[in-house]
Amino acid sequence: MKAAEVMKVLAAHRGDAVVVCALGMAANEWWSATKSEDSFYMHGAMGFAASFALGLALSIPETPVWVLNSDGSLSMNTGCLLTEAGQQPKNLKHFVIDNQVYQTVENMPMVDQGRADYALMAAGAGIAQTATIDNIPDLEAKLPGILAATGPYFVRLRIEAEPDYQRTPPAPYEGPEMKYRFGRAMEKKLGIKVFGPRGF
Amino acid sequence: MDVNDRIHDQLVKAGVTLAASLPDDWVNSLIRRVDRSDRIKHVPVGREAETVCIAAGAFFGGARAVAIMGNTGLLTCTGEMATLCLRHAIPVFCIVSARGSLDDHKVYQEVQGRRTIPLLQAYDYPYKVIDDPDEIEMIPDAYEWHRLQKRPFVLFLTKKLLGVTNA
Repeated sequence: MKAAEVMKVLAAHRGDAVVVCALGMAANEWWSATKSEDSFYMHGAMGFAASFALGLALSIPETPVWVLNSDGSLSMNTGCLLTEAGQQPKNLKHFVIDNQVYQTVENMPMVDQGRADYALMAAGAGIAQTATIDNIPDLEAKLPGILAATGPYFVRLRIEAEPDYQRTPPAPYEGPEMKYRFGRAMEKKLGIKVFGPRGF
Repeated sequence: MDVNDRIHDQLVKAGVTLAASLPDDWVNSLIRRVDRSDRIKHVPVGREAETVCIAAGAFFGGARAVAIMGNTGLLTCTGEMATLCLRHAIPVFCIVSARGSLDDHKVYQEVQGRRTIPLLQAYDYPYKVIDDPDEIEMIPDAYEWHRLQKRPFVLFLTKKLLGVTNA
């Protein structure tokens, strides 16, 4: 399956979930599929989208939170699985888009040379619910159950590496504008206050 | 009242409800105090940059968070602080042991003592060193001020303040 196909299915099942995207391919593909401003598109801190999502999930425990991680980002901070397991956030779903390459940087091969099983690593870290899915029919069939489960749930999505590695452009806004668009979207969506009365 | 109780109470007064931490022997008593808190949720992590990114995520959930760590850990996460927090103008309140000070004779803290503050200055991260227990009461003001600064802020706690005798 291809990244764009996966994003289309995830978007169709998203419901009220707030989404945090690892930088690069995952963020670009999610933006392309949804144009959603109640999603945070990481532009830095590679490896730490899962940590950002955990902090968000713990602060809004009644709202589903997804992290769309990538194999490259997970490899940079596999310890996030331990922290996630320690907290057992009931509202967090952790998806890893696994294309076996660092797609944004010329499809260079992943550090594990295709040998790692990220779902097994997550289970070993203490995340009891895990799945590996490598085709769209399975994703369509399994996703409702995954999303209905009380989390955390770790889902490895094996996709094809694509040769046109910069095919999908990023969201057309960044930096502080990303902060304010996402923060205001959260305020509107959840009825919470992210910013104070003077805007900071 | 114990210094860690006072820090905890001022964090509560500042509206803090989440603290992510990684141990350092100078701030372990504070971490234990936060862990016992019924007002602050404690999130232990495996690497200091996680504390910064967890706090950044919590910001967007409307929560007030802090990242507690040692000076060595602060050095390890300056990249994430820059590429996430500086890039997106996200305030993160860090509470850090002032390791490597004149009264810290651990050889593995030497570089941190000399180079941390110049590094923070290079990034333009504001900081404050607290050595006097009476200054703990400035925490709520410092918290509000760091939100206005829209970047990482570091509150250093000294050995004298923390009453450390075994490290």
